[in-house]
Amino acid sequence: MRSLTLHLKVLVILLVSLGVLITAYQIFILGIPMTEDETDDLWNIDAKVEFQASPREPVKLQMFVPPLVQDYVSLHESFISNNYGVNVNRVDGNRIVTWSARRANGNQTLYYRLALTKRYSGEQPNPKGPIFRDSQIVEGAEKIAAEALLAPIRQHSADVETFISEAIKRVNNTNDDNVRLLLGGDASAENKARVVDLLLSIAHVPLERVHTIRLTSDQAQTPELWLRSFNGQNWLYFSPHTGQQGLPADRLIWWFGDSPLISLEGGRKAQVTFTLNNNEINAIRLAQRADETTDASLLEYSLYGLPLQTQQTYQIMIMIPLGVLVILILRNLGGLQTLGTFTPVLIALAFRETQLGFGIALFTVITAMGLMLRSYLEHLKLQMLPRLSVVLTFVVVLIAVISLLSHKLGLERGLSVALFPMVILTMTIERLSITWEERGGTHAFKVAIGTLIAATLAHLLMSIEELTYFVFTFPAVLLVLVGFMLAMGRYRGYRLTELFRFKAFLKD
Amino acid sequence: MLGLIKRWKALEAKGIMGINRRNADYVLKYNQRHLYPVVDDKIITKQRAIEAGIHVPKLYGIISTEKEIENFDKIVAEHNDFVIKPAQGAGGDGITVVADRFEDRFKTVSGKIISKDEIEQQLSNILSGLYSLGGHRDRVLIEYRVTPDPIFKSISYEGVPDIRIIVLMGYPVMAMLRLPTRQSNGKANLHQGAIGVGVDLATGITLKGTWLNNKISKHPDTGNAVDGVQLPNWDGFMKLAAGCYELCGLGYIGVDMVLDEEKGPLILELNARPGLNIQIANDCGLTLRTHAVEARLAELQSRKVVETAEERVRFAQQTFGQSKPEL
Repeated sequence: MRSLTLHLKVLVILLVSLGVLITAYQIFILGIPMTEDETDDLWNIDAKVEFQASPREPVKLQMFVPPLVQDYVSLHESFISNNYGVNVNRVDGNRIVTWSARRANGNQTLYYRLALTKRYSGEQPNPKGPIFRDSQIVEGAEKIAAEALLAPIRQHSADVETFISEAIKRVNNTNDDNVRLLLGGDASAENKARVVDLLLSIAHVPLERVHTIRLTSDQAQTPELWLRSFNGQNWLYFSPHTGQQGLPADRLIWWFGDSPLISLEGGRKAQVTFTLNNNEINAIRLAQRADETTDASLLEYSLYGLPLQTQQTYQIMIMIPLGVLVILILRNLGGLQTLGTFTPVLIALAFRETQLGFGIALFTVITAMGLMLRSYLEHLKLQMLPRLSVVLTFVVVLIAVISLLSHKLGLERGLSVALFPMVILTMTIERLSITWEERGGTHAFKVAIGTLIAATLAHLLMSIEELTYFVFTFPAVLLVLVGFMLAMGRYRGYRLTELFRFKAFLKD
Repeated sequence: MLGLIKRWKALEAKGIMGINRRNADYVLKYNQRHLYPVVDDKIITKQRAIEAGIHVPKLYGIISTEKEIENFDKIVAEHNDFVIKPAQGAGGDGITVVADRFEDRFKTVSGKIISKDEIEQQLSNILSGLYSLGGHRDRVLIEYRVTPDPIFKSISYEGVPDIRIIVLMGYPVMAMLRLPTRQSNGKANLHQGAIGVGVDLATGITLKGTWLNNKISKHPDTGNAVDGVQLPNWDGFMKLAAGCYELCGLGYIGVDMVLDEEKGPLILELNARPGLNIQIANDCGLTLRTHAVEARLAELQSRKVVETAEERVRFAQQTFGQSKPEL
């Protein structure tokens, strides 16, 4: 007995923790939204490339496109171009699209469109990068200026990170003569980056340029330059203007390295403009769309992987355990008497078709009339099967009549009755009349009311949409339910009604 | 809310057993499912009892097929009064008690005259499963008609009072006398309105009673006090009940018995899920007593001793006797 109890405890703990873990994994690791209303930003980025093609010359245009190694997931990517061949390939961590045409004339416009969102990213690859490089060769005044700058930087820094940010701060201090000499009067980000690169190369610290796009809508922009360096474990990102470390969350890396965004052969006046806009879309729909276009198909093995129609059936089915839980609690904790164990759940399902108020009225009317018929059949002393068949037929006829009447009266609600499960009603009538005979009318009435209450509560719980969504999306919750049910299986305490039943004991 | 918690605590302190505890700790633990037919089918119960030498109302005959209905005359040929019962009936449905013969017909206990054709119709109905709960085919039992001992005349209204003893692993733990009332239509089932009267296990003297979950001390129909009545042959009842464990193998049962004018205590039927109102009738919780029995069993097991029915009865009477001071 004791080992059985232990066994049960272990099983309950196992099931509950498994259910909680799987659900937590889905919510926190996979980032599946907890409610259906949750929305996500969806970014549409358009890069418009315009240039003038030289006549009688083949055109070849290469442009970097985002490598998508960040926590963004691309939902959709398209290259819009007339008469151009499109080819995308990866080079040194960058992605390059190559548009090419044998012949083109006049103004040319090409589009690159990307839709992305910041959810459902897969595993990040382990970062890898160089931690040492050879110095660039500098001579003369520049060399002296660079060394003069490096001395205090070394003094004020502790590691690669502080070294780089200190270097950037120094380079941005344009009052410094050494800096002015190195910049040569050009204070652009590009030039500052070059000087920082130079300083760091003398210290053998590797540095890479990163070109980013800022995710803000309705604002014309050009790629913003950032610098990054590898410290042995992670890439560290720095702003060349402020030395600020860390890439803000709204930056999308477009490409790495020193090359310009586009390179054009067979044309001139190439120009790229970026247009961004965002809209909010339903998070779970977003996840489903992501599923279609990426390899990281996180929802594939969830119920969302089913065909849509089957999904709808499962959305009903997966709520049945919750209805059963209601009955379990009402019966074993509350002591409510219901007709059979799961009849209330079946009736609750039937309420889906008819709506609650109408369903209760219908249930009451048909059951009452069925009981009358049943008590009449009782006098005929029929055997069970023929008796049940008669009652079932009667119920069908009754439902048909109600449908017809309500239709004639203009109550369309009556038509939903057609799907009201007749066998459930027949069995209800049969069992109710047996209860009536064995335990009397009062008890039968009590049981019928109890059944209606249980069915109503179960129906109300089962039709909460947020709950349906939650259970459907995180079916592991059912394991937690099973754990609770198992624990209930050995519940020994009093039922609520017993506290009243046995109150005679407490009168003294 | 607080009142309910207080009530919960008070009931627990008194050792009152709830349905959940009865099911989890006793019915599920001690009653193996495959033994249920022994108590559900009155014919099997009776055959087992006869084999074990336990007193039951004498079996006149069994009818198990339509063909055998023609044997009915032969079965009852030597008897003027008898009882016809469905073997798997519940709640007393389908029982016909024939008190006498009247020319070619029969007279029931309520004075109604019925013909032989009607009896045969009734037999056929029972066979077809009209009264068995699942609706499956049943058998008919024809047996001795019990005449209740006149001792109950003063405190009973119609019907046959019976005695229910709850037996855990062969140890009687609590007893109750069930008295039919006008409301229960002569049936002895508590939920139909019969009275339950607690019985002191040691002496067989009745205690106060319960009626519809309330405590009472007088019979609502006769107005006579129900307590302080000495049940005759009490030790006989106790031994009979204790012996039922060996008979059916179920560890937690309610044994329903009657006291016949001539034959003494007889077993009517066994119940694998005895009700809990017996606690109100005895003003005592079952859990304390069952725990005492379980402790006794554990102790005996460690000593590798198995007690006989007599020893078990003695233990129960010593432990659970309510030797109340005379008023």
